[in-house]
Amino acid sequence: MDIKDFIAPFAVWKRAFEKPFTVNKPIDERPGAPRYRGFHINDSARCVGCGTCEAICMNKAIDLVPVDALKPDGGDSGLRPRVDYGRCCWCALCVDICPSGSLGMSNEYLWVDRDPEVFRYTPGVEAKPWDGAELGYRRADGYRLLEEERVDMPELDHHEAVKSFLELVRGYSRQQAEKEADRCVSCGVCVASCPAHMDIPGYIRAVREGDLEQGLRLLYETNPFPEACGRICTHLCEAACSIGSGRSADGTPTDPVAIRWLKRYIADQVELADYGKALPRAEAPTGRKVAIIGAGPGGLAAAYYLALLGHGVTVFEKDEAAGGMLRYGIPEYRLPYPALDKDIAWITSLGVRIRYGVAMGKDLTLVSLYGDYDAVFLSTGLTVAYKLDVPGDKHPRVLDGVAILAAATRGEPLGLGRKVAVVGGGNVAMDAARTALRSGAEVDIVYRRREVDMPADPEEIMEAKAEGAILIPQAIPLEVKPAEGPDAANKATFVWNLAEMVQKEPGKRPVPEPIPGAVVEKTYDSIIAAIGQGPDLSYVAEGDGIEIRRYKPVIGPDGRTSRATVFAGGDLTNDRKDAISAIADGHRAALAMDRLFAGKEA
Amino acid sequence: MIKLATELAARYGSRGWHNQRPDLASVQIDLSRLHDALAWLKDNMGYTHLSFMTAIDNIERGVFTLTYTLRNHAWNDGKGHSLMIHADVDRSKPEVDSIHRLWGQAWTYQREMKEWYGIDFPGSPRVDEEFVLEGWEGPPMMRRDFDSLAYSDATYAERPGRVSHDPETYMKEKLYPEAEA
Repeated sequence: MDIKDFIAPFAVWKRAFEKPFTVNKPIDERPGAPRYRGFHINDSARCVGCGTCEAICMNKAIDLVPVDALKPDGGDSGLRPRVDYGRCCWCALCVDICPSGSLGMSNEYLWVDRDPEVFRYTPGVEAKPWDGAELGYRRADGYRLLEEERVDMPELDHHEAVKSFLELVRGYSRQQAEKEADRCVSCGVCVASCPAHMDIPGYIRAVREGDLEQGLRLLYETNPFPEACGRICTHLCEAACSIGSGRSADGTPTDPVAIRWLKRYIADQVELADYGKALPRAEAPTGRKVAIIGAGPGGLAAAYYLALLGHGVTVFEKDEAAGGMLRYGIPEYRLPYPALDKDIAWITSLGVRIRYGVAMGKDLTLVSLYGDYDAVFLSTGLTVAYKLDVPGDKHPRVLDGVAILAAATRGEPLGLGRKVAVVGGGNVAMDAARTALRSGAEVDIVYRRREVDMPADPEEIMEAKAEGAILIPQAIPLEVKPAEGPDAANKATFVWNLAEMVQKEPGKRPVPEPIPGAVVEKTYDSIIAAIGQGPDLSYVAEGDGIEIRRYKPVIGPDGRTSRATVFAGGDLTNDRKDAISAIADGHRAALAMDRLFAGKEA
Repeated sequence: MIKLATELAARYGSRGWHNQRPDLASVQIDLSRLHDALAWLKDNMGYTHLSFMTAIDNIERGVFTLTYTLRNHAWNDGKGHSLMIHADVDRSKPEVDSIHRLWGQAWTYQREMKEWYGIDFPGSPRVDEEFVLEGWEGPPMMRRDFDSLAYSDATYAERPGRVSHDPETYMKEKLYPEAEA
């Protein structure tokens, strides 16, 4: 026997006092590695419930479940991911893909329980010891499965743009559109925020797959103005887009999918002559007749869906062309007339008849329509511009913004002069300012609150400034005075008081308070008032049976007024005052009228 | 190093020598000459240590690429040098000579690769025994055409009470249920 064999059993004793590799739970802890993929954590406030984690999960380990404390709204479905650890394989693809970046993994890997049902929970909603863990797996810096930035839209340079009424935004090429469509994860969170609830994931998928006729079909299911909305829509969908809910490495928000531009791409790519191949034709005539007052987006949307259902439609329009504010309120550099004409041409191709130059109250009364038509839709919009409501506001050099935009549409000389003030902060104010810039004027935009308070679209404000308009915020109009000096008859002096913003009531928006003595006077060739418009309801007589409250016809959820066969919609009744809301109103009213005719409702 | 690269090419037809770092190089060898090349490197060139062995599923090319990492501890005054030998094997008939007689521990790697990729090493001890996947009946799961979801669905019972919601449908129910389809 070798001496080594004798000693060997004792040799192991040399390890007796070394630190063992086993862990003495619970006395010793053995934490996971700093980037260990342990149990999930979710920042529920950042999560938008888009379900992209569920879609990518290779093992169907994730369900989206309602959370009592969360209400669905614009960009949040109110759902949250629940992980089933009986299926999770800890691959962390859910963390890597998460558009909002809310999902992560702690480095905790120990969880002991006798009840197998507990190993399924909603991170960030059901409290767990590892909530808020600093360590654990996060998406690595610079590693993104989703494209953070949208495909740049080719646009005219601002210096070039201001010289003409050429369209600013030039539209995506096929390659650009398909690349942008690829950014969409088809979560559908955007659909609720669209007033018309368009099938946004559906038509983006059609772009991605190159099936533009299918795309057009989906657009027309809820919106017969894709060319117009593809350009000027207020795109609430993009504010709700889950792809825009994240943060880039530099902390700026990620870009939402360019939903509006993709809609425009579909409509631009399909020729009007090919619309018939993609879109449904009108059903057989039902013999029912509907009168629509006003050929704006609301009225024509109602006309389109009524015509599709086989009802006879006559639209009465006071102006010489259709489109309403889309034509007379939006300058052609934002919405060129051929694009709008294409939308309208398809609607009239279904047999919708438009009678131009017919003004309600003057050429026609509501009562006369009641006899000839089975139902009436009122979409007369807001046509009366508010006055500045300061002394001197009747000065001949004080002009109305909407009238200026309409004159520009008609190609009439504007006669604004060289120095122009635009009063107001909405889209009409921005468009009036930009129209004045294009006629060669120097433009000041005078607004009573701060720039952030302006109701205009941020991009319109940005573009107005880029084109050379000077913004004078926190300026309260005081007076319009006759000008002095040479050529005084063709000028007016505008007086305003600079203001500071005062938080009067907590929770409400701050109010401008005049700063004593800070009065400014400036002489202009024209002062354009663009502080809002009201309706002209003078055509509604007392005997017409339509209840009016606060300058609006009172309507139910389907647009019906207090008279069973009369419906109303668009800017006239809708506080959102945008085209897509008007279109949704028109569609809803058309369906309600169809139910009315079918006798489904009294 | 250039000398070794040249000699390996001359003897065993190796190609694509690539110095990744001063102490790490990689090279491609045909499968039929792999075993001989490894033996020569071990017995004659000082690459005595098999430090790692794995495979990559190059499904696009229809091959598994086997990777053997050898180490010469004496090279450069004891600083050492590692050499990665790549060899492609046909994905439809993945059979590779066992190297367990060159390096005793290789059988463990080979058993692992049999289980995870389905690459066979005839003659390797216990190569058909389970490695870590107890009771595994599916296709080798490291193959890139392994469908994790299909396997899960076929293998595991659906946990009762699980229900998911589509964001678009759920938001419609909650926010605008009156809208028509």
